[in-house]
Amino acid sequence: MSLAIDLISAINQAIKNLFKRRITLRYPEVNLDIERGYSYDPKAQVGIAGYKGRHILHLEKCTGCSLCAIACQNIANCIAMVKLDVSYPQNKKSIFPQIDYGNCVFCGFCVDACPFYALFMTNDHELSSTDKKSLIMSPLQLSIPPVKKKGLVQLEIDDRGPYHK
Amino acid sequence: MAERTLTLSIGPQHPGAGHFRLIVVLDGDIVVDVKPDPGYVHRGAEKMAEYRTYIQNIPHLERPVIIDSSGILFPYVLASEELLDLPPPPRAQYIRIIMAELNRIISHLYWLGIYGVFVGHTTMFLWPVGDRELFIDLAQMIAGARVTFAFFVPGGVRNDIPDDFPDKAIKVCNYYEKRLKEYEKIFFYNPLVLKRTQGVGILKREDAIELGATGPNLRGSGVKSDVRKDEPYSSYDDIDFEIPVYKDGDCWSRCMVRLGELYQSMNIIKQAIKKMPSGPVKNAKRGVLKGIEGEAFARTESARGTMAYYIISDGKPYPYRLKLSVPSFRCLSLMKHLLVNQHVADIPAIYWGLDYWPVEADK
Ligand code: SF4
Ligand code: SF4
Repeated sequence: MSLAIDLISAINQAIKNLFKRRITLRYPEVNLDIERGYSYDPKAQVGIAGYKGRHILHLEKCTGCSLCAIACQNIANCIAMVKLDVSYPQNKKSIFPQIDYGNCVFCGFCVDACPFYALFMTNDHELSSTDKKSLIMSPLQLSIPPVKKKGLVQLEIDDRGPYHK
Repeated sequence: MAERTLTLSIGPQHPGAGHFRLIVVLDGDIVVDVKPDPGYVHRGAEKMAEYRTYIQNIPHLERPVIIDSSGILFPYVLASEELLDLPPPPRAQYIRIIMAELNRIISHLYWLGIYGVFVGHTTMFLWPVGDRELFIDLAQMIAGARVTFAFFVPGGVRNDIPDDFPDKAIKVCNYYEKRLKEYEKIFFYNPLVLKRTQGVGILKREDAIELGATGPNLRGSGVKSDVRKDEPYSSYDDIDFEIPVYKDGDCWSRCMVRLGELYQSMNIIKQAIKKMPSGPVKNAKRGVLKGIEGEAFARTESARGTMAYYIISDGKPYPYRLKLSVPSFRCLSLMKHLLVNQHVADIPAIYWGLDYWPVEADK
């Protein structure tokens, strides 16, 4: 008897679920709204919560000190310091970090290492490419802020379950 | 006897075993011998740690079990804190609890999805994998990543929780507590699932202790042992929670322990949010962190059981030696004990009931 009851209640649960909302995010028509990227305050020595996506490099602040490259050395070895044809007063040697996203694990320890507020992370996660070369981003590419996405949604929960709105 | 038997390789890379090979010897459809064959994903985590600074080790050490990446880092930061002389501030301890419990939920839900599909219940694959997203979103709000968080550092955590996190976390926990009741009806008390899991793969209390089982596998055999209660670390003693224990030692008991832990983890998260003091979240030193000469040991309860680190430092920025003791490795000794004399059809139910994670065991 109880076997039948348990079986019916299991089937009943499955039928009830037909009237629940759909949790699936309809990507890429809509995008999850992620406000900001991870950043770090070297004065207070503590990070500020945010998404760990592609980096953003502020060329006018970077001094070419290579501390970010040293921090990444044994993690993924993906930062190389390259020479650029630009002149900024604070960067005498004109060297800036270039990041290979084929290796980067998005840990953000390079951001923690930068003492000059020059290297942060953004909410951009769409980095896929068809060849390995274009995964290497030059300092100039890194300095461009990500484009704002369309169709931003957020997760909501009501009594018919979670959904995106 | 030799002509009668058939040797079969289950795994590596599926069907069902993952990066792990289980060599079973069959007589008819009865298993007569089992030889676990680990090591396909060994990467030398312990040796690698000797060439990296205490910070650079963090992304590497969470790789063996990315599904529970805070669980595997927790004892590492506790042990290295001792060597680096960087005690975490109280607020950081609570944030660590929240993160570790979120990760326990994420890991258990992943396990539940896999377990569901391997006992032939596809709905129990789709539901947990969908609902797991809620907790991944919460973890992403804090740590900025979805799977490998690299969030704990010696001396605290990397950043404070965002202001809108507490409300959202409580909302999600309240919803999910109700949702778990539906899971119980459709899966845990479903007569078809009971038939496949009850009385299958019985691990007696004495055997569990003797073979060195930890975590949910041990608690499923009626032993009340949990590092969070036995040796409270990181403010777990301020939080009021229970340890689910089931006596029978079969696959179903091990499932129910994990179900109970899902409820308890949400309870812990809610309490930690309420009790969290304000203040700094990180104790930091400038420059490269150098350990003092000496050794440190720490253990915690990760999603799969007791996780322990033993670190020796000789005063350099790198650990001199790092020893990592993982819970999955202890499942290997259970496999032979549980699988011999069972039917072939019960292998997935027993194997996945142990929540063995090959990458974790291989390190
Ligand atoms: S996020 Fe981590 S892996 Fe990527 S460049 Fe920075 S330090 Fe290297
Ligand atoms: S990004 Fe920061 S750490 Fe890296 S070279 Fe520039 S100033 Fe130095």
